Amino acid sequence: MSSKSNNEVLLEVKNLKKYFEINKGFFGRSKEYVQAVDDISFFIRKGETLGLVGESGCGKSTTGRTIIRLYEPTAGEIIYDGVDISELSENDLKPYRKKIQMIFQDPYASLNSRMTVGDIIGESLDIHGIATGAARQERVFDLLNRVGLSKDHASRYPHEFSGGQRQRIGIARALAVDPEFIICDEPISALDVSIQAQVVNMLDDLQKEYGLTYLFIAHDLSMVKHISDRIGVMYLGKLVEVTDRNELYDSPEHPYTQALLSAIPIPDPEVTRNAQRIILEGDVPSPINPPSGCRFRTRCSYAMERCAEEEPVLREVNEGHFVACHLMDEKFPITE
Amino acid sequence: MADNKISTDMWEKVDMSTLDKEVIARKSLTYWQDAWRRLKKNHLSMIGLFFIVLMTLLAILGPFFSRYSYSDQNLELGNIGPTMEIYQIDDNDFVYMNKEYKLVEVTEDGHISKRLVPTDEDMMQKYRSYEIDGKEVVIDYSFAVAAKKSGDPDAKKFEIRVNGDVIDIHDKVFNKTYWFGSDSLGRDLYIRVVYGARISLLIALVATIVNFFIGVLYGGVAGYTGGKTDNVMMRIVDVIATVPLLLYVIMLMVIFEPGLKTIMIALGTVYWVNMARLVRGQILSIKEQEFVLAAKTLGASSWRILVRHLIPNAMGPIIVSLAMLIPSAIFTEAFLSFIGLGVNAPMASWGTLANDAVAGLRTYPYQLFFPALFISITVLAFNFLGDGLRDALDPRLRK
Repeated sequence: MSSKSNNEVLLEVKNLKKYFEINKGFFGRSKEYVQAVDDISFFIRKGETLGLVGESGCGKSTTGRTIIRLYEPTAGEIIYDGVDISELSENDLKPYRKKIQMIFQDPYASLNSRMTVGDIIGESLDIHGIATGAARQERVFDLLNRVGLSKDHASRYPHEFSGGQRQRIGIARALAVDPEFIICDEPISALDVSIQAQVVNMLDDLQKEYGLTYLFIAHDLSMVKHISDRIGVMYLGKLVEVTDRNELYDSPEHPYTQALLSAIPIPDPEVTRNAQRIILEGDVPSPINPPSGCRFRTRCSYAMERCAEEEPVLREVNEGHFVACHLMDEKFPITE
Repeated sequence: MADNKISTDMWEKVDMSTLDKEVIARKSLTYWQDAWRRLKKNHLSMIGLFFIVLMTLLAILGPFFSRYSYSDQNLELGNIGPTMEIYQIDDNDFVYMNKEYKLVEVTEDGHISKRLVPTDEDMMQKYRSYEIDGKEVVIDYSFAVAAKKSGDPDAKKFEIRVNGDVIDIHDKVFNKTYWFGSDSLGRDLYIRVVYGARISLLIALVATIVNFFIGVLYGGVAGYTGGKTDNVMMRIVDVIATVPLLLYVIMLMVIFEPGLKTIMIALGTVYWVNMARLVRGQILSIKEQEFVLAAKTLGASSWRILVRHLIPNAMGPIIVSLAMLIPSAIFTEAFLSFIGLGVNAPMASWGTLANDAVAGLRTYPYQLFFPALFISITVLAFNFLGDGLRDALDPRLRK
């Protein structure tokens, strides 16, 4: 993971927005929007893993699903390998369906219960015409083997498997098209802890073996630290901090990141007793009517007048360390 | 404590290939095998299924067991019930007297030979005389008027005298010629009921096909596409659903001649709307599930997602609703035929048979009994089967 000498950017997201229209009113008037993802930008280098963390409803999954074009982006660019795929038609998108794949959160809902495991994994082979007949079967067996299942499992139905096994099937399905980039949408949240480790380690091994690039969406900070090279922190549709994983854990700059990190349980009663937890007041504001200026200001203990008036931009404060907070102007003055 | 130390040479490495990868011991059952296993436990629906199969076999094979066709008529042998009270004239001569006090020659075991011709008949004196094998047989029905006035259903209405001696009922036998009796025109009721079953099952088949191909696909497309398309498609369904079926059939009669074709067109054009609504609702709830998103990320086309992923997952409610819609279609056909908007004579459906029987209901109740019995059995059988299927196909009840 850490041996990333490659600096080539595989995916770059520029000013991505995804608004969901709601409450259309009786005659299509009074439109309101859920600003699920509001103007975020980041990049992922080839072969690295970018972790995306944040509490429920902050737009992590929406970001992932918009990148893979399950949702139509409202605005912004998704540049994959030099090509903007945000406005491609479904037909032009087809080659990218082979390059970009996704692993889903719920192993129970993400497999079609009416299909055998062999058909689930082999479906993409049929769609893209990669293999038929005996070759297809061979490939399905090979994929099952890669994720630690046996070929006897191909004729079984998903309900006969445990959660961890189902997640492996989901991973095998994603691997079937030989993707370059995999979006892992909370792939371990629905699994118990011992299985989480298995699946994460498997993802890790697969990455090394095939040189995969991951966007790893999760809310479990310790797991994200384990697998990611860099980590992005989201709050209410905005990216508030992006940096190297060690830097994030050692010197978090954004008040929200600090609060998040202080909430990680430490398996040592001595430390836990003396640790100072930052407790956030209030609830996450509604993404329909987000607060003006900095979206975190309603819960931030450092909030100033300026925070309500001006929206902080994501800016590089240290090398590779991006933060969106007005406090940074004092700490790291703009040198220009 | 030192001797408790475990050194590395006490361990032996297990060859990984000798270990089984996780083995599932349970027999692999597909969704339908599992559903069938649970359906078999439901006795009521198995009885229903048995009767549906029986009815289908009867409709297909029934005509081979009968000498008559549905249109063969014999006016002389009309209105003979499925059981007959026969009288013995002498050793080999048996007669059956119908409700009009006329004699029909029968054999002892219930085969009908022919209607006898009276030698003398007097409507005023209320008697009729026959000559059979040289014996004079007289039917005196002059008691009928008095019996009717007395209001006593058991009062004597007639007597049969052979050479002056009153004879009694010899035996009550089943009608071996017309198993279900004959109607007023002397047509075999059995074969007419069998042809009625053919029509009813044909209607069931049409309703199934229409529901499946139009209803499921229409609802599926509306639900999956969503948005404006969905809105327009469902408003069309609303419009179709508001037209009363009866009015619709009558209007169709203006264009086509009354008959089975018109009923099938009527059912075909309007009967799928409920199915379309149901499927649309199902699809709406399924299409947001992750396996559909997964298929989309694999690049599956909309049609593939609809046919391979969405519709198979909505199959449970579709089958159940189908099993409930079929009896309603059969019943609708019977009802339309009953009020005279159905099949044309001499073709018979259960509805027209019931209608024909109503006129003579008090005298010949068997003519209504058989079609009514078959309608009830079929509708009940489909309902029981549908009930059982609902339980069997519900994955929440899976054990």
